[in-house]
Amino acid sequence: MSAELDLNLRDQAAAVAAGEVSPSELLEAALARIEARNPALNAVAETFPERSREMVAAAPDGPLHGVPVVIKDEWPLPWRAQRFGAAELMAPTAPGESGPYRALRDAGATIVGVGNMHELGAGSTGAVSHYGPCRNPWDTERCPGGSSSGPAASVAARLVGGAVGADGVGSVRFPAAYCGLTGLKPTFGRSAMEGHHMAPVTTTIVSGPLCADAADCRLLGSVLCGEELTAGDAAGLRIGVVRDAVSEDVTPAVRDACEAAIETLRTETGGEIHEVWLPDLEAAALAAILVINGESLGGTTPERLNRLHPEISPVARGTLKYRMLLPAAATVQASRVRTMMRRRLAALFEQVDVLAWPTVPAPAPPLEAPLVELPSGTLTADQANVRGSGLANLTGAPAISVPVGLSAERLPIALQLQGGWGRDELLLDAAEALERANGRRWVESRPPLAEAETTEA
Amino acid sequence: MESAAPADEFIPAGLASLGIDVDETDLAVIAAVHRFFWPAIVGLLALDTSEVEPERCSDLSKAPQ
Repeated sequence: MSAELDLNLRDQAAAVAAGEVSPSELLEAALARIEARNPALNAVAETFPERSREMVAAAPDGPLHGVPVVIKDEWPLPWRAQRFGAAELMAPTAPGESGPYRALRDAGATIVGVGNMHELGAGSTGAVSHYGPCRNPWDTERCPGGSSSGPAASVAARLVGGAVGADGVGSVRFPAAYCGLTGLKPTFGRSAMEGHHMAPVTTTIVSGPLCADAADCRLLGSVLCGEELTAGDAAGLRIGVVRDAVSEDVTPAVRDACEAAIETLRTETGGEIHEVWLPDLEAAALAAILVINGESLGGTTPERLNRLHPEISPVARGTLKYRMLLPAAATVQASRVRTMMRRRLAALFEQVDVLAWPTVPAPAPPLEAPLVELPSGTLTADQANVRGSGLANLTGAPAISVPVGLSAERLPIALQLQGGWGRDELLLDAAEALERANGRRWVESRPPLAEAETTEA
Repeated sequence: MESAAPADEFIPAGLASLGIDVDETDLAVIAAVHRFFWPAIVGLLALDTSEVEPERCSDLSKAPQ
């Protein structure tokens, strides 16, 4: 029955609906595949077979009836508090019915496991976690991307057809890019967030789907948003291209693949390419970091910092303490930059429908040393990646990462499309147009780890 | 843009004044983070946003009014 796990999410749902496979069979196949493949990946931090079987037994009819999915270690489940990839959180947590849990349950899905993640959500690589580093199915010595590392690696390795991540400064889009998936960061406030320990205060974090392609993201995204993300077309798409570090300070392979994809998208949609001016992108990225840092400081006291769990990583320990020294003036300035960028974006979206630039400037770096070589020099992956991601979180606008190629080392390359507020559907339409135009070549590419066992009985 | 050199004094003194304990590992990590963040923060603070009219009660799910 494991062959069904090689189907896309929507085709798994269709196979269940047609009676070709039962929800129980699909669940047991997913558990078996996790047991077989996860030791090489560390993508799934925990399974709970009896709880999953209970979900199968109680599953209502719904768009994901009987389909196994993985959820990031960022939301409580009725039987498990979120751990945020860390030995402890700075916020109180408890088991409970989070928004994404309810959305999945009510859609009939089976939560088969909790996905690993970068410790405290504070990294774009997935290299640091209380559960140990997660590994990229395309090359297990490489970073899977973070902080939704486990959800992405789970889908790329075909442990499941879809997974739920969270994106505060790019944490759905980075792992989608590194793992060759499609990942949607919905418009702020549109997708389920209840139960997240920062839900009452965050202005940047959203839940979002990680899937093999745009149609699956539409399906899982609709479940998370509680409304149909209706399919349309992207005819006459006006594509804005920014000539800045986000598109220029990237590896030649990334630049070539993304430029080719933008031209392909223009041709497929009968659209237009506009070079647009959007200054201060790096300031916007820093502002996004400062906003999320400030919002996560609630309840942080010197006394609390002096009794951190001994298994909190040295990097997180130092960073948590350093945050206490960030000047309030910078946070206020970040707020002003947010307003400035929201207005600039709103003006730009009068001229274009989407902005396009590489999701990340280089393919997945080694876990051992997450550095990237760019025209400007050697940077940490975190430094380089956030430049192109923070704008969407800072402004609240939606963005999507779509696979557009493989490097010479056979590592995925991805293009990011950012749209206007509430135009999540258009991003999915554009991603599907791109898939059509390139013959679904990249969304159907599979990592060696997933290819190796596709013939298993 | 200001360098991060004064960090040797600023960081331990600042954390000590808040009553936050640090060891050598903490300080090494913080120094690295500071080298990355501080010049960017100084740059951010230097950005002229005096013309930016505050957005009151912004709804981040929508375009600004």
